[in-house]
Amino acid sequence: MTSTPPIVSIKDLEVHYPLGRRLLGPPPMLKALAGITLDIPRGSFFGLVGESGSGKTTLGRAILKAAPVSKGTIRYDDGSAAFNIGTMSTRDERAFRAHAQLIFQDPYAALSPRMTVRDIIAEPLEVMALTASRDETDARVREIAAKCRLNLEHLRRFPHAFSGGQRQRISIARALVSGPRFVVADESVAALDVSIQADILNLLKSLRDELNLTFLFISHDLSVVAHVCDTVAVMYLGRLVEIAPSRRLFQVPRHPYTKALLSAIPSLDPDAPKSAQRLEGEVPSPAAPPPGCRFHTRCPAARAKCAEVTPLLETSGEGGQVACHFWKDLAPA
Amino acid sequence: MSLVDVQNLTIRFETDEGLITAVEDVSFHIAPGEILGLVGESGSGKSVTAKSLMQLNGGNTVYDPASRIALNAPGSDPLEVLSLTQERDMGPIRGGAISMIFQEPMASFAPAIPVGKQMVEQLQIHTDLSKAAARDLSIEMLDRVGISEAAQRFDQYVFEFSGGMRQRAMIAMALSTKPKLLIADEPTTALDVTIQAQVIDLMKDLVAEFGMGILFITHDLGVIAQTADRVAVMYLGKLVETGTVRDVIRAPAHPYTQGLLNALPKLDDLDAPLVPVPGDIPGPLERPEGCVFHTRCAHAIPGLCARKTPLPTPQGPGHEASCHALEGNQGLLVRGPL
Repeated sequence: MTSTPPIVSIKDLEVHYPLGRRLLGPPPMLKALAGITLDIPRGSFFGLVGESGSGKTTLGRAILKAAPVSKGTIRYDDGSAAFNIGTMSTRDERAFRAHAQLIFQDPYAALSPRMTVRDIIAEPLEVMALTASRDETDARVREIAAKCRLNLEHLRRFPHAFSGGQRQRISIARALVSGPRFVVADESVAALDVSIQADILNLLKSLRDELNLTFLFISHDLSVVAHVCDTVAVMYLGRLVEIAPSRRLFQVPRHPYTKALLSAIPSLDPDAPKSAQRLEGEVPSPAAPPPGCRFHTRCPAARAKCAEVTPLLETSGEGGQVACHFWKDLAPA
Repeated sequence: MSLVDVQNLTIRFETDEGLITAVEDVSFHIAPGEILGLVGESGSGKSVTAKSLMQLNGGNTVYDPASRIALNAPGSDPLEVLSLTQERDMGPIRGGAISMIFQEPMASFAPAIPVGKQMVEQLQIHTDLSKAAARDLSIEMLDRVGISEAAQRFDQYVFEFSGGMRQRAMIAMALSTKPKLLIADEPTTALDVTIQAQVIDLMKDLVAEFGMGILFITHDLGVIAQTADRVAVMYLGKLVETGTVRDVIRAPAHPYTQGLLNALPKLDDLDAPLVPVPGDIPGPLERPEGCVFHTRCAHAIPGLCARKTPLPTPQGPGHEASCHALEGNQGLLVRGPL
């Protein structure tokens, strides 16, 4: 891909969750993620898309050590500190928290109604003991609040006084106050109205440039991802099916699933020709994923081999990778 | 003749903090076989408007005396919905002449009763069908909306259905009484895009087949562009613009409609900057005087927009927008890029 060193480097990652309990022996396992190999370059706005149940949230959480790493490795290296996320000690984990943070989806649920905005933003500094005095904490809070375009007079108020867009700016300030280098934004604009969403997206992009951050931007909304991300990874049922520079992915999708996903987006043009690619059926249960290529049960181009052999990511040119046995045979969309 | 004709609908709610205006002076009509899209952000009053068609709003609702909702279902007498005061008079409307599809199908089915039994129950209330005939019709409808092995599915519970299947089952249930008007309140918002595309196709097929009118509520302009014939744009309880989907999306007249379209990320133009609508939506207790949009409007005329409520002005055949800057064809507004 690019020559920029990766901030996160994932090799053959698997995340398993137990499905209930068994009286004897280990319970059956749900493989939420399988065979994930991925590099996230430093300074990038990296998009992760997929339908519900595709494992995109699990992947974001695994990188933050909020999901179990069952197999494989996740390396984090931002130049100033490096961690091996699967095996790090509790002490390292505490240090890691200052480097990697999460912005949640729902700004109404993510803020305590009983804390002032100042206390909400200051909490990470206090928990991680990053500041020596109250004055220093206040200074850091005011600095990040200004960067997130929050009115400093608002710091004394409680969250209920704010609209969705303002609340999301408060949660962004809280995530950034500890000075992280890597931020996971999980559906961070999904709960916002269109007129506000653009404002938050523009803010995240300018913060990336100003504070030299790397974003992992998780979303089900492909048009949003197309506009803000440099590189996009597409997931289906716990596997990566395609990774490519954003422009390439949206103009020349290679994987049949990416093509179908793009053609399912309702066009703003009322006279747009009805897309030929409607996916039949629904996503199979991740507890019993289909053998071979997990997409073969819904794929319009599936052949016998697809049900038997799992396709691996291979280079598809122009800095992209695709996991499909027959992508070369399929005409560009 | 319109199927439903809403005139000067104003809805207020009595709350501890005072009377809150949710919908103000809204007028629209829907013809049989027509899909009217109602677009707006959260809190704009879309759902309250829709629920008023069946008087489903809560007990603290106050309808303005000038409000009229005329329902002209073919084959039955014209009806003034707001003049009905008895719950039993509402029966033939709710689920009979008008059916509703909700956003979250999991919350709309009873969890402990098989899906089929719920379908039969409402058919027995609204039709003269025997239990066996209602069962046959329900299975036929489930099959019709693309649920495979409908006879087995009939006896299952809603938790055994996937998200897309639940929404299909709700559509089947809503259509089984052959309503004249279908209200679809964000019917695809909780679904993944590939399933959303299937459900939209299905709804369009069914309208063509049954010839009912649909009030389609959504915040997604793309979904509207692909489903509706006409569209009404709502902001803070007011209709700011109405017209055919082509006119409103290609030549938006009202600054709010233009703002919404400019804020939307477009896949066919990745270089276009995302332009947010400035400011925040005012809270329900801070409803602006004059034009409700003036606090966020770049074209607001000082001294006028904050004082006087703009009236709908024709922008073309069947295309109206309520904005002072558009009155008298002053041409003050730069049209949107679409």
